[in-house]
This record gives sequence, structure tokens and C-alpha cells, in this order.
Amino acid sequence: MLSTFYGADRLDSPAAWAAAFILGVLFGLALERAGFGSSRRLAAVFYLDDLAVIKVMFTALVTAMLALLLLTGSGLLPPEHLFYLPTVYGAHLLGGLILGTGFAMGGWCPGTAAVGAASGKLDALLFLAGGVLGCLLYNELYPWLAPLAAWGEAGVDFLSPHLGLSQGAAAFYVTLLAVLVFWGCEILERRRGVGGALLSGRFLPTFSLALLLTAAVAYLVAPLDLAQVSAAGPSREAALLAQIEAGTDHIEPEELADRLLAREAGLVVADVRTEAEYRAFHLRGAIHAPLPRVHEVLAPYKNRGLIVLYSGGMTHAAQARDSLARQGFRNVYLLSEGLTGFRERVLKPASLREETPTPEKAARIRAWRAFFLAAPAAVAGPEPAEMPAPLPGLIETDWLARNLGQPWIKIIDLRSQPEYNTGHIPGAVYLSYDSLRGVVGGVSSMLLPAELLAAHFSLIGVTPRDLVVLIPGEKMHDATLVGMAAERLGHRRYAILQGGMAKWLKEKRPLTTALPAAAPSSYYPVQPGADDFTVDARAVLEASQQGRPLILDVRPAEYFRGEKSEEARAGHIPGARNRPFSEDVVAGPEGVFFKPAAELAAAYARLLPDKQSPVIVHCRTGHQASQTFFVLKRLLGYRQVKYYDAGWSEWASRPELPVAPGK
Amino acid sequence: MGDSGKPPMNPYLAGVFLGLVLTASYAVLGAGLGASGGLARLAAALSHLVAPAHTQASAYFGAWAPHYLSYYLVFMFLGLFVGGFLSAWTAGRLQPGLERGLGCPPGRRALFALGGGVLVGFASRLAQGCTSGQALSGGALLLTGSLIFLAALFIAGFAVARFFRGQWYA
Repeated sequence: MLSTFYGADRLDSPAAWAAAFILGVLFGLALERAGFGSSRRLAAVFYLDDLAVIKVMFTALVTAMLALLLLTGSGLLPPEHLFYLPTVYGAHLLGGLILGTGFAMGGWCPGTAAVGAASGKLDALLFLAGGVLGCLLYNELYPWLAPLAAWGEAGVDFLSPHLGLSQGAAAFYVTLLAVLVFWGCEILERRRGVGGALLSGRFLPTFSLALLLTAAVAYLVAPLDLAQVSAAGPSREAALLAQIEAGTDHIEPEELADRLLAREAGLVVADVRTEAEYRAFHLRGAIHAPLPRVHEVLAPYKNRGLIVLYSGGMTHAAQARDSLARQGFRNVYLLSEGLTGFRERVLKPASLREETPTPEKAARIRAWRAFFLAAPAAVAGPEPAEMPAPLPGLIETDWLARNLGQPWIKIIDLRSQPEYNTGHIPGAVYLSYDSLRGVVGGVSSMLLPAELLAAHFSLIGVTPRDLVVLIPGEKMHDATLVGMAAERLGHRRYAILQGGMAKWLKEKRPLTTALPAAAPSSYYPVQPGADDFTVDARAVLEASQQGRPLILDVRPAEYFRGEKSEEARAGHIPGARNRPFSEDVVAGPEGVFFKPAAELAAAYARLLPDKQSPVIVHCRTGHQASQTFFVLKRLLGYRQVKYYDAGWSEWASRPELPVAPGK
Repeated sequence: MGDSGKPPMNPYLAGVFLGLVLTASYAVLGAGLGASGGLARLAAALSHLVAPAHTQASAYFGAWAPHYLSYYLVFMFLGLFVGGFLSAWTAGRLQPGLERGLGCPPGRRALFALGGGVLVGFASRLAQGCTSGQALSGGALLLTGSLIFLAALFIAGFAVARFFRGQWYA
């Protein structure tokens, strides 16, 4: 039985290089003897003046095809020891068209040009120089060409199954076709008076018969389906299974974290998820090796150092590992429990863990978190071009529909739970805005502290790089209140759906009743000091006494005037101005919309002359004021907007604070 | 500049010879013949000479860093020159010069040869091989992509040949 260099994974050895050199010499000899050291003769095929190119090429193809069938069919050459070029339909079609054009233009192809150059042909040398330029051009343009190069990837793909034939039968028909083509070539050459000498004499009939007989024999000895045998070599498969069995192909998250932290040389961590997922979050230092290109990307590290693959869970990484093992990679390991396990076992802060870690373990966790989470530059997010701009801001239903399913988008549905359960945007999670509020320091309905908000974000799977899309039901201020939570966490990547759920429904956009397929909890880190906008009663009292910043009471006018009251006292903070929040939105059966920015800008310009004017917004509980905050700060660009969360609810209940009676 | 030296071999026998060399390549190396792979490695090595950091960081050539030329197809490419030279020499076909039709100015032929090379070099990367590495080697295993490539190559060649006729015929 023959063992090939490829099969033994020694194609990169000097012995293989020597063999390749000798084969190259024979290859050059064959091409030159065929007369392919002449561009004129090669190009003549395209003008039907000399069909030698077709004859030689087709004969060589058929000869090798039959010889390989005989070798594999007789068991001399194990089919899994051969390298099969994967098919990429689009790239092969387009590449063939461009290459054919270059062939007709230059009169050479790379192999024949090498032979031509060796025969002293200057045009062959020029052609090769052009070839080098073409390769350089391809390399420079590769970032843009990569999708094209992968256009129509089909893996190793044999023609025979497409025709419903076995490999042996397909080979027989191809041989038959070749014989017909050869006779056609000779007849055509004779008619054109440029050859066809072989039509007379015994050569062509004898040759045709010999080919067909060989094809018949090959058909008989080649019952094997190449496509099946090539998929997996038995010996490698067994070794692989043994390795999986022994569990020696896994690495635990803690161990990987420590080794990455130590910046171990020769350790390559590869993320096999999609590009969008990789961009949204990846382990610090991990390279991106998406499944379709995993061989290509990892080729430089084959059997050098240690490769650790990870995906979200384990499935995709295991798939990639199996495929790499079949290609002879012996240094590939899997991250146990994938990224989910890594988040849970490495990134989760000590305070949120079920078992209180020992002080040493807690110190280790802090070190891991500092390394993996504190480097936002290493954690790339989606390209700005994909994000709606500016953020925080508004997005339209069109944009959301186009980007549904992007892993870096987290949709939060703020309607009631029955409404959510009977149909929501695919991928959306339900959240009650009120779950983000609670009693803080004796004051009710306060936005929760950052740590608790971060825990909420973690539970619904939001990470710092995600775009949070808020879907209001009937009230825009439900969405802006969750927006305030994001603001408190320093999470700027959030947007509110203009029109809300009503517009989505009206436009008959996609809906589902199923829960999001995978909503793993994530870990949301707390950024201390992100909230620099929430003010307390003392700051508001000062503003009231000094007349600056402007206090903007956004409650309905009758509450401001004291005609209506649900609190201890009626009225408003002395010096405050009233701009009811409801003035900024239009709500109706079509949905709930912010008014056009120009209209809002004109209205607020009367209250706040320039964008630097300081202002404190408040309402009764902070709910409605969150909307005015969003309008001023995020839609209109006011820079000094503060938020008195406790609002009238607290103010009215503290008798020492002054109240202006309504007028 | 007409052909001189011995007339070329019977194309069918030459084809059988080439087919057997290809079979030997598969039987020994486990991979087929190839020419553009070596050319591309050469391009990467040249690129490295001019801009090492850029080449190492580039998405395509970068995968081959730092030993761009330590690849079996580079050695096969070298062998091609040696074999081609030996054969041309023994057959009396060593003919230094620019091969072109009588009516074609040398400049035009040179430009076409260079331009054709650029297209072929580029296309060979896109299709992961050229006439030998993709069409012939993959075709012999009846791989779908290789056969599509082979058909597209001839279709395009026949379709555009008329525009380049002037370099061969008066």
C-alpha cells in the first residue's frame, strides 16, 4: 500500500520537497515535449488552428483519472491519502473566466510559461512577472475579495453524485466523451487544412479503443465511492475517537484563563463563531477562525504550539476540531463548556457566585476580570457602519427588520407580559420597566443602583458591546426609563424604536411567540461613576434658591399648577418651569413617536437658550422625566442635563422643602 | 519566428505522459501538479522583501509567513524550469526572443503577455489553482469545481480570442 506525503502529513518535509522537484522536472519535460513551450502554439487552440492543447489536456486528465481509479480501486492507494480541492462554485466559475481571458491574451498559463521561459521566451518571462503582479494585487485586495473567494463554497464535491452515477461510471462516460472530442478535433483540423493527419492510420482507433477498455476495467475495479472514503480515513478517525474518549482534548476555562493571563508563548486561541459574534465579544487575544475558513486560518499553527478552539457552547468547536484532526492537526484542544462556561467560571464576579470563593480564588477572579474585561480595545464591537448613528438615539422599523438576528442586537419588549407572549419581535426578551425600580433610602420608585441594574442586564444576556433596542408599547417613557438604566451603567449603545410595537405590528413585520432560541445570561460589568447625572433634593433646593440650573417639571400642567395631586402636597418646586412630557410625543393607533427634532428643538430653545444651559428634569417618580431627559440629552444634544429621580414624590413628603402654590 | 528543432510529440502520447506524471504526483505526494501555487509563494516572498511587516499582517499572504518559500509547490515550480530547459535543449528548441506574429509590434505583444499574466495570476488565487493545479489535477478526480473551472476557462478563451488575434496573425 502506498502512503503519500500528504497522508503521512509530511508534505512540509524536505523529502517531499525533493520529490516535488523531481515531479516538477518531469512535468516540465511533458509540457515541453507536447510543444507547450510556444505561446503561439498554445494560443492557436483559440483560433482552431492547432487543437493540441485540448488533445493533450484531455488525454492527461483521462489518463490520470483512470490510473487513479485503478490505484484506489485495487487498494494500492488509500483514497483518504489524497488531497481533494474543495469546490467553490462562484470563485471557480469567475476564476475560470478570468484565467481563460488571461490565457488568450497572454498566450500562456503559469505552467507552460515556466517552460517557455526556460526555453528562452521573453514573453513567457513577462507573463510570469504579470502573474506575480496579479498575485500581489489579489493579496492587497483580499479583504474585499474574501467573500467572493468563498462564494458558493461546497466543500469537497464530486461530479458523479450530481449525475446519479458512481465515480467509476462517471469516469467511463468522461472517457467516452474524450474519445469523441479527439475524433472531432482531428476532423476539424483536417477540414481547416491545419492537421488531422492522425485520421488516417491505425493510431487513433487503437488509442481510442485502449482508453475505452481501460475505462471499462477501471469501472469494474472501482466500486468504491470516492466521496465517502475521502470524508474520513479510518486510522485517523480511530485515533480521534480514542482522544475524545480519553478527554485529553479539553482544556478547562480556569486553566485557559491563567495561561492567557501569563501570555504563554505558542498558545493560539481561536474563536470559530461568526464574524458578528466575534466582533461583539471574544476572549482577549483570540483570533477569528470561522468554521468555513478554519483550516486556512489555522494552517500556520498546524502542529506548532497549542491551538484552543472555542464557540458559544461546544458543538461548533468540536466540529472544527474533528475536521482539523482529519487534516492532520494534532495540537487542537477545546475549551470545556465554551464561552458560556468561561463567562460562568472565569468572568463572573466573586460577589455573584453561589459559593463564596476563598480569598485566593477571589483574587484570581479579580485578576481574570481585570485582564479579560478591562480592555475594551481588545473587545471589538460591531463596525460603526452597522450601528445606527448616533447612539443613544432612535431607530426605524426598517433598520431593525434588516438587522434582525444579528447576535449583537438585544431587543427588549416593554409591553405587558400577555402582549409579549401572544406575539413579539423575533429574538426580543420581555422586561417590565418597573423591575428596574425599587425603594432606595426610603424613597419609592427609584431607579435601582448600578450593581442591581447590571445584574438585570446580565440576566437578559446583554453585554457591554451589544446594541440594546427598546420597544415601547403605548408609552414612550417606558423605553426611556430603561434607557436611564443603560445611562446609569454607562451603556451608550441603546436605541428606541420610533413608532414602538404598534408601528411594527401595523407594518406586518415578523413576529413570533417563541422565546429567544438561546438567551444565555452574560456578565455585565459595573463602571463606577458612569452615572454623573442623577441629583438629589439638596442639589434641586440649591437650584431653586439660586435660579440656576433651570428646574424643568415635566408633569401634566394641572399637577404643576396644584389643581391635581397624588402626593403629600400639591404644587411645584419654587422657580421650576413646566413642560409636560406629553408635548414631546405623538401617540395614536399608528404608534408612539417622538415629534420631529426640529419642532422639539424650537420648543426647548425657548426654555434653554443654548446647549450648555444647565437643567434639572423631574416629574413625580422619575418615569416621565426620563423621557424629557432623553429628548434633551440624546435627541437635542443639551450637555448639562440632570435627573432628579426622586421627584415630586419625595419633595412633597419632606415638609422642610419649600413648595410653590399653584397659580 | 517559426518553429524550429524537432516537431512536437504526438499530442495523445504527450497527454498520456503528462497524465502519468500527474498520477505519480498523486501517488507520491498525495496532491496533484501545480504551477501557480509556486508563483504565488514567490510573489509573497517578493512582497516580504519590500514590506515585511505589511506582508506578515496581510490577510492572504500572511498565512504563509514567515517561510513563504518552504512549500512543495515552490520546488515543483523550480523543477518545471529545469525540465522545460532540459527538454527544449535536447530537442533544439531553445529560442531566445519574443514570440509574436510578423505584423505585431513587439511592444504590443509584451503588453499583452504582461497583462495576460496579471489576469492569470489574479484568477489563479481566486480559483485556488490554474490550468494544471485546478483544471487538470482536480479534473482528474472529477471534482465539480475543477470541471466548472475548466469549462469556464475554455469558454472565456474562445470568446475573447478575437481581440488578441493581431499578435499572432497579420
